[in-house]
Amino acid sequence: MTWSEFSFERYRRYLPAAAIFIVAVAASAYLSEVSLTDLRRGILKGLSLLTLFFPPDWSACKDMLQPALVTLVICLVATPIGAAFSIVFGLAAARNIAPEWLRLTARTVIAVERGLPEIVILLVLVAAFGLGPFAGVMALAIGSIGMLGKLLADAIEEIDPRVLDAVAAVGATPWQVIRHAVLPEVLPALVANSIFRFEVNVRASVLLGAVGAGGIGYELDAAINQLEYSRATMAVLMILLLVFLSERASDWVRSKVL
Amino acid sequence: MLEVKGLSKRLPTGKTILNDISFRVDKGEFVALLGASGAGKSMTMRAIAGLTSVTAGEVVFSGESGKCYTTITASGKTSGKDLRRARRNIGVIFQGSNLVKRLPVLDNVMIGRLGRIHPLRSWLYGFTDQEASEAMAALERVGMAGFASRRTGSLSGGEVQRVAIARAIFQRPLLYLADEPVSSLDPKNAEAIMQLMQPLAREHPILGAFHQPGMVMHYCTRVIALHKGSIIYNGAPNLSAKQLDEIYCGQADRPEATQELTAAAES
Repeated sequence: MTWSEFSFERYRRYLPAAAIFIVAVAASAYLSEVSLTDLRRGILKGLSLLTLFFPPDWSACKDMLQPALVTLVICLVATPIGAAFSIVFGLAAARNIAPEWLRLTARTVIAVERGLPEIVILLVLVAAFGLGPFAGVMALAIGSIGMLGKLLADAIEEIDPRVLDAVAAVGATPWQVIRHAVLPEVLPALVANSIFRFEVNVRASVLLGAVGAGGIGYELDAAINQLEYSRATMAVLMILLLVFLSERASDWVRSKVL
Repeated sequence: MLEVKGLSKRLPTGKTILNDISFRVDKGEFVALLGASGAGKSMTMRAIAGLTSVTAGEVVFSGESGKCYTTITASGKTSGKDLRRARRNIGVIFQGSNLVKRLPVLDNVMIGRLGRIHPLRSWLYGFTDQEASEAMAALERVGMAGFASRRTGSLSGGEVQRVAIARAIFQRPLLYLADEPVSSLDPKNAEAIMQLMQPLAREHPILGAFHQPGMVMHYCTRVIALHKGSIIYNGAPNLSAKQLDEIYCGQADRPEATQELTAAAES
């Protein structure tokens, strides 16, 4: 190509798309009341508020330990429950294991479930089970099934079909093939994914706590509502610690199983 | 004794994969299937093991007790239970890549016995010590006892192939099917695997698919050659260069070539 051939002509076909995109962004900005003056005012107000958050209220540390533990316990219960159910859904959603009708049903359930944020599930569950950690456990467990089930189903579908044929060829029943070939091949991945999901659940449970599942998220929400900002800072520090520790733990376990 | 009668497989598109394949394999035989890729060797093996459906045909085999098993009946319908009962008596030596890579070597060998133990027991409890020591004996026979606790995925090609043979031995079958057991191996390992299989064949017949005419002529007792889904040669394992040429280079399309080959086999 010579320079004489190079021109902006070739970008012309992107013009309509670019115009539509710019109009859409501008219209959305107008409708959502984006304004630079508000941005400036908000930043200044935020900065002055920020001084209220410091120093953290170290004395509240003691009060935060128990809620932090509640959050941890919620995740510790919810993740294994979700993982256990994801085995059922994972097997049912795998092309090389399940019949077509079962696979489609399971894939649909998983897709719907993955489409719902945990917070929506929690709001529905709170209506049924009332406020408290139990609703939180249920919401996180259900939330985990979607992700873990999909990952497991994909892992199962990736197993070399010849490996499964070879086990079937010794006269094994389909359930024996699952037990002695499918599960050994995918369980390490399931464990690693579950640990990662535990980490995700710790973050999610903070948000769920604020909505009514209890734990450290509830403490943070309460502190801000009562304008006890330095106490809120303490809660945030506690959350950071919790997330950091669960991340370290998850990295360590994954390095062991994979 | 294995008897394959009139095995045919046609695809819905009309393409013929297997065309009226009939042969016997008797006690003490080590029979090699030769033929170019796509000639139907693997498909014949898969059909005998009941791993693929066929358009017509029958597969019957029996051991010393005289009890007959079948993976493909003349009526074409085999119940899951009958199929499993037959399969547990066929030791399939797959290409080694078909082992469960994340399981230890010993567990992969013990999988050979799954057809003989109750499904519930295998789910909840696994295998007994007795079975484990028998599996160790099978590993010893192929020279892999020292690898029993290694993860199968960490073995080399030749090692994995030996484990696949140990699985088939531990299964205690009435006959062995070996689908290209040496194709992925270097000449030295391939030779070693053939030396392992030769004495096995004296106990229970082996039907194997191979791509190494030289090795086949040295170790096997009979050759069955396939071309485009049909048997074009069934006889002694001493083929001339010209005969091999016809098997591999497609000259067998000439009807007289098939006759020449068969005449050579009979003489």
